[in-house]
Amino acid sequence: MTPSEPASAPVDRAEDSGTGRDAPKTRRLLLWYPRAWRARYGDEFAELLAADLADLGPGWRRSANIAVSGLRTRLAGAGLTGHPLDSAAAARAGLAMVAACGGAAALAGAAMWAQLAIGLQWSVAHERGITEAMALMSAALLVLPVLALLAAAPVAWAALAAAVRGQGRQFRWPAALITAGLVVLVIGGRHFENGWPGTGGHLLVHQGLVPGGVAAFGWATTMWITTYWVHPAALAAFPATQLGWMLVSPAATGCVLTGAMKLIRRVELSPRAFRYQTRVANVALAGLAVFLSGALSWLLSAGGGSAPLFRAGAIDRAGFAVLALAVLTGAVAVRQARAAARSGLAEAAATTRR
Amino acid sequence: MNTRGADEAGALETLGRSSGPASLILSSLADGPKHGYALTKDIESFAGVRVAPGTLYEALSRLEAHGMIEAVESQDRRRPYRLTATGATALSTYLQAQRKVAEVGLRRLAGSWALT
Repeated sequence: MTPSEPASAPVDRAEDSGTGRDAPKTRRLLLWYPRAWRARYGDEFAELLAADLADLGPGWRRSANIAVSGLRTRLAGAGLTGHPLDSAAAARAGLAMVAACGGAAALAGAAMWAQLAIGLQWSVAHERGITEAMALMSAALLVLPVLALLAAAPVAWAALAAAVRGQGRQFRWPAALITAGLVVLVIGGRHFENGWPGTGGHLLVHQGLVPGGVAAFGWATTMWITTYWVHPAALAAFPATQLGWMLVSPAATGCVLTGAMKLIRRVELSPRAFRYQTRVANVALAGLAVFLSGALSWLLSAGGGSAPLFRAGAIDRAGFAVLALAVLTGAVAVRQARAAARSGLAEAAATTRR
Repeated sequence: MNTRGADEAGALETLGRSSGPASLILSSLADGPKHGYALTKDIESFAGVRVAPGTLYEALSRLEAHGMIEAVESQDRRRPYRLTATGATALSTYLQAQRKVAEVGLRRLAGSWALT
């Protein structure tokens, strides 16, 4: 199959084009690509660019082509489009992206749900859509943490097993991020949940739907998701500790999510564990879709006729948009992760056959 | 591991939007190793299209990930690539399918439109 080694094709203007004169431009264009890609292809790509620039001169079409290609490569690295360098890495990146989407959706969802729960602590909702929304959102929220634990367990197990084998160095930093973030969120959340505006509400029949403690914790950990940020005068009236918490809690949440994504990207899962993870992810996406339908029901019902406590604001509409985007992106990431994993298995089979 | 999966792994169609440039790259590499710029010039000479740098390297990285091409050791910054046995098989299968389509199309054109 291998032909005799012929000489490389003639290289006319590339010979003397070098990278000197166009070096700043090629360096800028290379920045569209992720670091791993640049480490692998950067030098040779810069050579090609220099030769191409010498041939055709500068042009926006080339820049646009490189920008689009670079962004697609970055998306692939994030597990959202095909696989760039390594099928297994792309599959893990897909799972990590699902985790990030789940985290973003959980944040937006918890903020919406906690706010609706406040309304239900103080008032009876006369619109059927609002009680239906609460039922759907609560049911989904009941299932999602269980699924998160089911998904986290094999990852944590695989990381622990690797650590026992003496290969745990790569998991130290992600584990430290997750632990630090969780500690801050739990301690801070438990403290600030005491200020939940739902505390002291009436004892109403429908409150059975709403576990007040959970709603209070959800409210405290997502307190920073608010439109107060665009009203500095109102924000200035907040106690300094609460303001501090509104700055610390998103950072802690970011630590947990970043740590989780790094951990998933580094841990080696067996094909069976990977299939299990994608199934859990699909069920979680279905749960988020149920939550989304509940949130939609609330947004559609909470019009001008609603009690003020049930009216949805700009932050709730933004939360809904984040949720919808997270569900769609998560679905794409699951599909890509499965495709990359299938491709990896098929490549392995082809290699074996060779 | 199913055989179908293995067959699909060696098919150009698995490269998605890169399958077009990939067939040009594999055809260019069929007569020996070439680096990026030499590929661009060669493809331009036999296909009449200039593959943009981003498109070329997107396809090259996918072909390499699929084991259809491999990089050749080089002291030069312009790293050459060569066809692998998997790539040669994939290209052959792809071109035979294309030839069948071309033959049918040309035969029908000749019959109905007197064009060849």
